[in-house]
Amino acid sequence: MDATSAPHRIPPEMPQYGETHHIFEMMQNLLEQLLIHQPKDPMLFMIEHLQRNNDHVPKIMILGPPASGKTTIAMWLAKHLKTNLLTVESLLAMGHSELAQEAQQHYARDRSVPSLLLVRLVQERLSDEDCISRGWILDGIPETREQAIMVQTLGISPWHVIALSAPDTVLIERNLGKRIDPQTGEIYHTTFDWPPEADTQNRLVVPEGISEPATVRRLLRHHRNIARVLPSYPGILKVISADQPCVDVFYQALTYVQTNRRSNAPFTPRVLLCGPVGSGKSLQAGLLAQKYGLINVCCGQLLKEAMADKTRQGEAIQPFFKKGLPVPDSLILKVLNLRLSQLDCMQRGWVLHGFPRDLDQAHLLDTTGHKPNRVFFLNVPLDSVMERLTLRRTDPVTGERYHLIYKPPPTMEVQARLRQNPKDTEEQVRFEMDVFYRNSAELEEFYKQAITLNGDQDPYTVFEYIESGITHPLPQKGP
Amino acid sequence: MPGAASGTMSTTYTYTSRPRAPPCRLRYSMSQPPDEPLPFGNIMYDRRVVRGNTYALQRGHAIDEHAQKLQETKKRVAAKRRAQEQLRPHTPEPVEGRKHVDVQTELYLEEIADRIIEADMECQTDAFLDKPPTPLFIPAKTGQDVATQIEEGELFDFDLEVKPMLEVLVGKTIEQALLEVMEEEELADLRATQYEYEELRNAELAEVQRLEEQERRHREEKERRKQQQWEVIQKHQETAQKIAARAFSQRYLSDLLPSVFGSLKDGGYFFDPVERDIELGFLPWLMNEVDKTIEHSMVGRTVLDMLIREVVERRLATYERKEDKQPFLSPEEVPGIPAPLRDPTMGYGFQEQRPLPSADVPYDKLMEEEEEEEDPIGLRRSLGRAEQLQDRESWEG
Repeated sequence: MDATSAPHRIPPEMPQYGETHHIFEMMQNLLEQLLIHQPKDPMLFMIEHLQRNNDHVPKIMILGPPASGKTTIAMWLAKHLKTNLLTVESLLAMGHSELAQEAQQHYARDRSVPSLLLVRLVQERLSDEDCISRGWILDGIPETREQAIMVQTLGISPWHVIALSAPDTVLIERNLGKRIDPQTGEIYHTTFDWPPEADTQNRLVVPEGISEPATVRRLLRHHRNIARVLPSYPGILKVISADQPCVDVFYQALTYVQTNRRSNAPFTPRVLLCGPVGSGKSLQAGLLAQKYGLINVCCGQLLKEAMADKTRQGEAIQPFFKKGLPVPDSLILKVLNLRLSQLDCMQRGWVLHGFPRDLDQAHLLDTTGHKPNRVFFLNVPLDSVMERLTLRRTDPVTGERYHLIYKPPPTMEVQARLRQNPKDTEEQVRFEMDVFYRNSAELEEFYKQAITLNGDQDPYTVFEYIESGITHPLPQKGP
Repeated sequence: MPGAASGTMSTTYTYTSRPRAPPCRLRYSMSQPPDEPLPFGNIMYDRRVVRGNTYALQRGHAIDEHAQKLQETKKRVAAKRRAQEQLRPHTPEPVEGRKHVDVQTELYLEEIADRIIEADMECQTDAFLDKPPTPLFIPAKTGQDVATQIEEGELFDFDLEVKPMLEVLVGKTIEQALLEVMEEEELADLRATQYEYEELRNAELAEVQRLEEQERRHREEKERRKQQQWEVIQKHQETAQKIAARAFSQRYLSDLLPSVFGSLKDGGYFFDPVERDIELGFLPWLMNEVDKTIEHSMVGRTVLDMLIREVVERRLATYERKEDKQPFLSPEEVPGIPAPLRDPTMGYGFQEQRPLPSADVPYDKLMEEEEEEEDPIGLRRSLGRAEQLQDRESWEG
């Protein structure tokens, strides 16, 4: 067995590096571009691609029926994300290209541009420097399946496709109130989006083609075509109902656009569950460990195991436990580090709960190099916690644990002999909650990408939320 | 030279010398040999020391001061004499018209001529004779002469007398010789021990050097080995890291290719060419053909409608003419006509079979049975259908 096939200990920095810098997605992008362009000099091409570093620029397509507010949403998104907006009009207005002039002639003649020309125009525009470096938003292109196919064959693929949908009647009514500002090109509405300034109000003109029969015709055309375009983008399509106020639609679109795509990168979950006592951390950790094969690392239990095994650290911890004092951070860290560096934790991932209780501990955990890649904060109000904890009882004879509401003891005889853990008294619980809430603000600030959940629901709902938090990639914060 | 001057490019010129008294150089010092120490002179009386202020310009003076002094005295004397000459009374100047002439007033006149009369005389002394040797001074003999004589053996016995002396002499000589020999031996011994000691020392020194050498070599060897080992370990670590990195990246990117191809397929870049061809080539053609066929049937229906309309109009005209004569009706057959005409969802075949091949015959029969009240309805209905057709066309457009 030579050195290359011997089992090697892969230092933990490598997978963490891969994860933080999204190496898998980067390589995937690189390979895709390589396959699409097939350059003569692949090395140079790869170097240029990596130097451009534009894997995270927005590439968005917004589709939807007329009068759904596409252009408004597109303009707001473009402003917010600081990227370029491409509509049919803006493409026609490209001054320096002959394709644009040809297209303009077509448009002047029959008020529509042939698909091939339009797609080639799009391709030309997208190869401009500003589109490459800042991304693009396509508004209303492609409209038909042919355009969609052509766009795809050229290798232009968006990260996100947003489709607005609304019932026809709403759209027809809405279209009647559409007004355009001729100077800025912004679209206003008589009822929903009236401009505040008086001079803007005076400038507004009624655009052509908003009468009811015209809208109906356009809607029919749209429905015919969109049904074949939408299946071309599986996996990245999100349908947003346009029947809500503009701002809501915009925020939904923005959140969607800021999520990364699900990628096939190998991912070992290293989950940190934070929350006050009684928020269900151990339960969720147990469920996660069972379902995904992660290692359940409970800090308190770890310390008790160390003491029981009479290891060196265990013996150091014992006096603190006997006196009831909190164990110093350095000792806890040593025990934790030992456990987390073991091979099974590194390979399968872990779920940690009960450890960083304040900022210093969080910093210490950071320094060991075991950084969690998902952090969850379980929020439970005080009353729920009290209810959950103060009603816990244990049967001293059988060792069974009961809860007076959620899992009552079967017989009166059992109930008579139930005892309560002194940790579960009301004052203790209140004290622990206070301690937690004093430190939680700092912890939340430290773990910026943490996900806060409502822990007050039933365990399986919370578990589903946690699962979705783990499996979906973390959203990227906007610019 | 006792002094030392230092003058290089970078430093300034300095000259130092040990302090020494200046020698007093008198005139006859030239004949003195140079390696004899020069006599010292008192600096106070040295002419070379400058007296007076040294900040005024000095004029150089002649080295030979004695000649200078003589010159000066001569000058002074001359000056004095001149001065005295002026004071001495002279004969007064001659009166006007007279001239003083020098006259010899001695007894015998002397011829004063420019040329001095000279006569050469010479004499010669005898050659010097050597001084004869001084005669020996023998003083006259004085005193009396007296003589004695000692015979051999009268004074002393030489052998007896000489013995102690001889003993002493010999003893002393031998003692001296012994001492000398002992000294020599001692010296030899000493030298021998010294020699030994030196040998030992040399040996020890050699030993020490050897040990030092050994130590140094060992140390160097150790260092070299440590360095080698260090490098080996470094290399080992690096290799292990490289292998780990390679294994990791292989595992990490093992899913890369399928993922890439999957995403390109999802993005529509990879497509089934047959499917695409069907979609882009075959289906539009199919739809076109279907369109055409429908067009045909539509056209047929329109033509039929036109035909019916024409026939009905004609019939209407005929009935209007016949109105006066006999209005009669048979309502059973009549609904038969508008029903198939009214109902557009019936199968094409059925409709096509009925109107087209036998356009005239059944219609003649039907027309005969039709009622003029139903005609306007039928007409309206067919007209309505025509309108619907038009609308649909406009929507399609």
